[in-house]
Amino acid sequence: MGILLMKRYEDIGHEMGAVGRMKLAMLTKMTSGTAEKAEDSVSNLKLVDDAILQLRKAV
Amino acid sequence: MRISTKLITITLGSAVLVTGLVTSLVVELQQVATGYAHILQGPVEQAAEARRVQANFLVQVQDWKDILLRGQNPVDLATYTALFRAQQAKVKADTLALADATDDAATRQLLKDFLVEDDALGAKYDAAYALYVTHDFDYKAADAIVRGMDRGPSRLLENAVAELNAHAVSSAAAQKVRAIRQLAILLAIVGGLFLIDSVVYCSVLFGVLKRLGQLKAVSDRLAVADIEGLSIDISGHDEIGAIGDSLKGVEAALHELLAVHAH
Repeated sequence: MGILLMKRYEDIGHEMGAVGRMKLAMLTKMTSGTAEKAEDSVSNLKLVDDAILQLRKAV
Repeated sequence: MRISTKLITITLGSAVLVTGLVTSLVVELQQVATGYAHILQGPVEQAAEARRVQANFLVQVQDWKDILLRGQNPVDLATYTALFRAQQAKVKADTLALADATDDAATRQLLKDFLVEDDALGAKYDAAYALYVTHDFDYKAADAIVRGMDRGPSRLLENAVAELNAHAVSSAAAQKVRAIRQLAILLAIVGGLFLIDSVVYCSVLFGVLKRLGQLKAVSDRLAVADIEGLSIDISGHDEIGAIGDSLKGVEAALHELLAVHAH
């Protein structure tokens, strides 16, 4: 299960609020619900981490 | 492959086909023109030359009669004898040239037969001429030696003319058949290529239209926030695939927003 992935969604939610989670979902094309069910694979983690980096840069 | 690349490739392919068709038609036209020019310079011109030889042969016979009728005067005799000899030499030279020029074996044989008979006739003319000038211009005795003997060579020339005419007609007919066959082959090849080009074009067009329809359906649902059970399955490595991928992000964002608000 995507524990690490879900943790990242929660962290970005605390950091940027609902808009941040929405933007993260938009960039990764993956909702938090989908992330929770997905594998914590290297590729998935990289996808989410890259998106978070992009969001932070935009801020 | 991107849609623009596909369309450019198909357009360029069509342009190459059209250019190839036009070039091939020009080449084909030149070949047909060359073929007919060859016939005009060959059998048709040779048939005309054979008719000229035939006419000159008749003039030669007429010159002989001029010698007999008007050769009692030495000056006239010299004049008509010179005309006759010149005509005789011309007929022989032209016949030899024609026999060399023609590639029709039957015509060549007829001309050779004519030359043999013309030589024999020439010998008779010489004998008749000698009799004429040594026997006080006895034209009746001289005429008796060659009377009717020009009919054989004349008939051979007629046959040669007919043979060359037939050869010209058959060459033109063969050229026509060859031209039609080459044109048919050319059109079949180009038609086949156009067919392939059209099939590829229609395939690309219908593929694009179908995926645009799917894209519009997704877009319509997103426009009214109808995302329950929405599945965006528009794949591909082209512009439509890219838009579909972007819409997946929009869909995920809407779902996430709803999920956040639900908590």
